[in-house]
Amino acid sequence: MEGDQDTSGFTLVTRKPCFGLPTACPNCLPAYIYLKLAQLPFQLAFNSTFPDSDELPYFETGTYVAYNNEDGGVIEKLKKDGVVNLDSQLQSLPDYLSLKALILSWLEEALAYETWVGTEGVSAWKIYYSDLPWVISKVLFYKQTYMAKTRLGIIKENSEEREKQIYKRASDAYEALSTRLGEQKFLFEDRPSSLDAIFLSHILFTIQVLPETSVLRTKLLEHGNLVRYAEKLKLEFLEAPSSSSSPPLHSFPSSFSRKGSKPKSKSKTEKTEEEKKFKKRAKFFLASQFLAVVIYLSVMGGVSNDELEYEDDD
Amino acid sequence: MANPTENLDPNPRTREPEDEVEEEEEAQELNSDDGELEEEEDEEDDDDDDDTVSNPQTREGQSKTESLPPGNDKTKDHIIEAEVEAVREANTLQELLEASRVANSNLRAMDIFDSVNITLDSGPPELPGTTNVVIEVVESKNPLTGQIGAYTRAEAKSSSVEASLKYKNIFGYGDIWDGSMVYGFDSSAEVGMGMYLPRFKGLPTPFSSQRSLGLSLGLLSSKYHELVYTVAWRNLIDPPRLASESIRRQLGHSLLSALKYTFKYDQRDSYLRPTSGYAFTSTSQIGGLSPDSRSLRFLKQEIDLRCAVPLGFYQTALNFGVSGGVTFPWGSGYRTASSVPERFFLGGNSSPVCSLGGPSALWGFSTRGLGPNEPRRRGDVERDFVGGDAAVTAFADLSFDLSFRWLRERGVHGHVFACAGNMAKLTENEFRNLSAPKLLETFRTSLGAGIVLPVSLFRMEINYCHILKKQEHDRAKSGFFLTFSA
Repeated sequence: MEGDQDTSGFTLVTRKPCFGLPTACPNCLPAYIYLKLAQLPFQLAFNSTFPDSDELPYFETGTYVAYNNEDGGVIEKLKKDGVVNLDSQLQSLPDYLSLKALILSWLEEALAYETWVGTEGVSAWKIYYSDLPWVISKVLFYKQTYMAKTRLGIIKENSEEREKQIYKRASDAYEALSTRLGEQKFLFEDRPSSLDAIFLSHILFTIQVLPETSVLRTKLLEHGNLVRYAEKLKLEFLEAPSSSSSPPLHSFPSSFSRKGSKPKSKSKTEKTEEEKKFKKRAKFFLASQFLAVVIYLSVMGGVSNDELEYEDDD
Repeated sequence: MANPTENLDPNPRTREPEDEVEEEEEAQELNSDDGELEEEEDEEDDDDDDDTVSNPQTREGQSKTESLPPGNDKTKDHIIEAEVEAVREANTLQELLEASRVANSNLRAMDIFDSVNITLDSGPPELPGTTNVVIEVVESKNPLTGQIGAYTRAEAKSSSVEASLKYKNIFGYGDIWDGSMVYGFDSSAEVGMGMYLPRFKGLPTPFSSQRSLGLSLGLLSSKYHELVYTVAWRNLIDPPRLASESIRRQLGHSLLSALKYTFKYDQRDSYLRPTSGYAFTSTSQIGGLSPDSRSLRFLKQEIDLRCAVPLGFYQTALNFGVSGGVTFPWGSGYRTASSVPERFFLGGNSSPVCSLGGPSALWGFSTRGLGPNEPRRRGDVERDFVGGDAAVTAFADLSFDLSFRWLRERGVHGHVFACAGNMAKLTENEFRNLSAPKLLETFRTSLGAGIVLPVSLFRMEINYCHILKKQEHDRAKSGFFLTFSA
């Protein structure tokens, strides 16, 4: 890397943290985990007003910026530009590419489907729109849901078929990855790779962010070794030694459902109450604006000038 | 999307009629702003809409109003009548003439009529002491118009080509619907749609890096006061992906819900070449007026003071003025940076003599060419001028007639000028680093001379400007410049 990066720090700009994750956005989390696995010290900054942007996450240092919608994503760009490359000797391995294809296509599709369609965007609201005004949030939510369905090729006629296909592929992918991983620490030998970052991000998001009723989540939890793999990496790389540990992932099937459900159901009812309050306020606001305009137009009439003043021609 | 109200002349010129004998002549003169005289009886057209109102003359002291049923083709009656309300209320012939001139320019400014003629005639013999006011409008035969042009915007760095299509008066309320496409020379493209109603105001066109969709409502509009409420959905984007760090942090959506109050007192004798009088404008804006605490919250205050002193020979006049403004966020986000579109940007191709819209114009400096700046993304050598939370400008301008009569007759005159300006960031605790000596030390100054050519509704200047003082990275250089002001 060029010299000026030595003087300025590294910053990763992502969407806001939520659900116990440093960033709850499924597009931003892989980049975060990748930098953590590489043990590169960096700062985290947040952008919570651009939910429909492809540029997030982006990595910056000095005047160098790596956007997510360039050169195949932030991770690929960081590898290509020599910032940090965890895959330097792995790319030649025979199953690297096939695992990469599996994770980046079938699992990513399944996650996108489950986030926007399968769970009807319940989690997406909190991830993307908590800092935006209600009107804008509503419009963007519909827009992003529509775009997700378009990207996944889902139309009314094929929705059921497509759902079955997506879940089946996710199931097969979990099975294959579970067999491949066994009780290893990483997917490849004993060193972390970008595929670990992306896969770990997928598991953490599926377990911590998606609701308990999620089909994908249920399928993932059937593979204990995948959950343990995620738990180990999370403890070692994502959590600072001094901070208190979050509830262990392996207890999710039983204890999480107990621990998590109360705060989750509480936050759900809180959320709906908050939402109701905002909707009420917004309706009141719009009604009062409309009334003010009507009163003005009917009572005040047209524009009236107190005096008219003119200038003499020069 | 051009705002039709920009065509409204707040101080339309008037003539003072001396006695009744000139009534006929003046009535004919009212019919054409282009200076052509027409006989009122010859005004006949298939698409005519006629409104006749009788007004009293003070001499007789009688008042009687008579109106004939209108023959409007498409435009609703009340739309036309609202614009000519003042004519009904006129009591003297002078008031009638003034009100008619205003009504004429108001109706033309609606931009939905091909021609507008107002004729004053003596009332019917059975109603002594009344005046017939005949308003003849010709609705546009072709409601669809288009235009294409190249523009440079004050707050955007680059130029753009803009094409727009307007569909006028679909519903008869003076409504104008338009769609526009803007292609910026930095490879950005924008599509905008707008609607304009006579009692509402449309939003200005989107800038090259900002998309805006919303509505501006004129709540109160009088000679000195104006209250406007704006609600808009703004999206700040960076299509070329070259923006600097602080601009990158602000990319995204925001809701603008703001009330703007303007107090304007302009006693100068002319807008384009003031030679005597003074003007004062104060604009206060508060954003965040919505129950949703996540809308854009800010306070903005701008002040303009202008003074013109005649010096008595060759129509020489000294114009001087000062403009200042400050903006900052409020609410729980008060510690964060102010929103970029609300900041002040100095520089550009306009003249501070005419502009009364807060600190913006500074001779010799490019649009958005000075103030706090940051490096853009690697690969771009230019810098981003991110604007300031506080700005101040001051100028002095001495204008004088030139010795050639041919130039004098056309209003072409010369001027010498000097100006100074500065801006600063206040948010994110930057105000602690501010000090008066430091501000004075970093003031940008320039002086120059040039020729002013008034061209009907705007003023063009060809100036030679010499930059006396500028800071590192400021985009300014001594040389010839063209400025336009309206």
